[in-house]
Amino acid sequence: MSKKVPQEQYEKTISYKFRQWLNGSKDPYLDTVEMKPQVPFCETESERLQREEENQQLAKKVYDLEHNAEIRLFGKMYKVFSVIFCLFLVTMLLIGVSYLPTFGHPENPANNEVSERYIEKGLQETGAVNIVTGMILDYRAFDTLGESHVLFIATCTVLILLRLDKKELQKSNEANDRIYEPKNDVILQTAARILVPPIFIFGIYIILAGHLGPGGGFSGGAVIGAGLILYLNAFGFEKTEKFFTAKTYRRLSFGALACYSLAKSYSFYTGANHIESIIPLGTPGAILSSGLILLLNICVGIVVAGTMYTFYVMFRKGGY
Amino acid sequence: MGKGIEGLEQAYEILFTAILIFLAVLALLCLLRAVIGPKTADRIVAVNMLGTMVIVMIAVLTLMLQEDYLADICVIYAMISFLAVIVLTKVYMGVYLERKKIAEMSGETKSGEYTAGDEPGKCDGNDKAEK
Amino acid sequence: MEAIEWIKFLAGALLLLLGTTIFIFEMIGVFRFKYVLNRMHAAAMGDTLGIGACILGLIIMNGMNLTSLKLFVVIIFLWFSSPVSSHLIARLEVTTDEEQDKHYRRLILSQVEESCERNNCEEKNRKQESREQSNCEEKCRVQAAEKEEVK
Repeated sequence: MSKKVPQEQYEKTISYKFRQWLNGSKDPYLDTVEMKPQVPFCETESERLQREEENQQLAKKVYDLEHNAEIRLFGKMYKVFSVIFCLFLVTMLLIGVSYLPTFGHPENPANNEVSERYIEKGLQETGAVNIVTGMILDYRAFDTLGESHVLFIATCTVLILLRLDKKELQKSNEANDRIYEPKNDVILQTAARILVPPIFIFGIYIILAGHLGPGGGFSGGAVIGAGLILYLNAFGFEKTEKFFTAKTYRRLSFGALACYSLAKSYSFYTGANHIESIIPLGTPGAILSSGLILLLNICVGIVVAGTMYTFYVMFRKGGY
Repeated sequence: MGKGIEGLEQAYEILFTAILIFLAVLALLCLLRAVIGPKTADRIVAVNMLGTMVIVMIAVLTLMLQEDYLADICVIYAMISFLAVIVLTKVYMGVYLERKKIAEMSGETKSGEYTAGDEPGKCDGNDKAEK
Repeated sequence: MEAIEWIKFLAGALLLLLGTTIFIFEMIGVFRFKYVLNRMHAAAMGDTLGIGACILGLIIMNGMNLTSLKLFVVIIFLWFSSPVSSHLIARLEVTTDEEQDKHYRRLILSQVEESCERNNCEEKNRKQESREQSNCEEKCRVQAAEKEEVK
């Protein structure tokens, strides 16, 4: 057991300063560059009145249309010239576009041997009837890994900027702009009770049938997110918190992203060489076919659904 | 559609193309209503109508091109347009009522008191500290 | 077999054209009515019925298929969600209306009763008195008759 040191001696040590820097309570500019300690901003009544008076006088002079012929002329010419400028831009862009090669020409740079290989041997090598899904989740699964990480980073950014702690949430209840919104609409609640389960089932269907038809993780996740938003709008935040809290989102998104990374991050080490997967490609057209694509679809779907719901909730309330 | 009976195939094509053109013209008129409509409810109604006509157009396309996955898109589009109406009305009602409340409060306190966001106690203390 | 195909085509085409006619009526209504709630009513009715007719026509043309089932799901979803949408839009309109006295007439029950009483006071009182008198006369006659019987 170490000796307990008196408080003043402790405040001179390095560990205390380190702790302060971690907390954010140490102001790095206070003792080095000469600055006064910060005081919260407030205005007395006279200052406020003076500021508003000055603003009004300035506005009167600037927007004085009667004595200022130049401003009137500018106003008229502005409209004409803006239309001319827009038309000019449009024509320049259209002329640029007309230089592109015709659609479907065999000598286009897009029609090279890569797309031929994907189309001819796609079904054989990936086992997915939907060639697009086979491409983004098997041939180029590494790129989709990056995409899922981008979604995750976007959610992290929004959480950093917009999330309020519990204390701030309680404080902000006065400035809460959701007090005046209509709540507990009986008609909407009845409709939501009937409609939300089919929406979830439809979203799950789209995710699972990603390799058999158009769909996949991204669109299915968006539909599930929309279903969650509908439930939230009908029933309010308290009821939704019973099954979707911050913990749920954390565990789901972390679990899904970790799963995807484990499956496909070997490309960091092997470069462009593909590792043959142990999972056999079943009969094309069955659900349990095409190797890892089903699992990856589910992971991507979970991440996208959580992302959509988190964005909506952060922008509305600042907390789950 | 039509399965080889010649007159029938042409009839199907003509019918579908005519209906598509018709619905496209109606959709443009919906846009006109959205631009003109003096109130907010007009615009929300116009957007809803536009969504419904697009759903019918996509359903006609599933039959014309004989692609089965476009029917899924119809269901998704119906869901999303319903959700849009719900969120728009809720948010706009909240904004309107909040502005009305603020106008009432600032209308009452015109003698120079603080409006709802200021905290009168803090300022005096800080003035004294600075002086 | 040919006849069945032609019948399918004709029935489906009829319903489809009926649906587009309903859409035309809806557009005429939305442009001609003078007040927001009337226009919203035209839009909601036209949407629901028009989509029902159009998609039923398409289902008949397609035969019994998985695609037809999905289109039927569209009809069911829209018939559930369209009334709720119009309810919410009407609620929005009623709360954000600035000229409420011009558009609506508010009836509060207690006030209605008061005004009724003030207007029809004298007549009502007279009628009530005459009714009471007539009732009283009848009762008296009945009682007298009973007393006579008892006696």
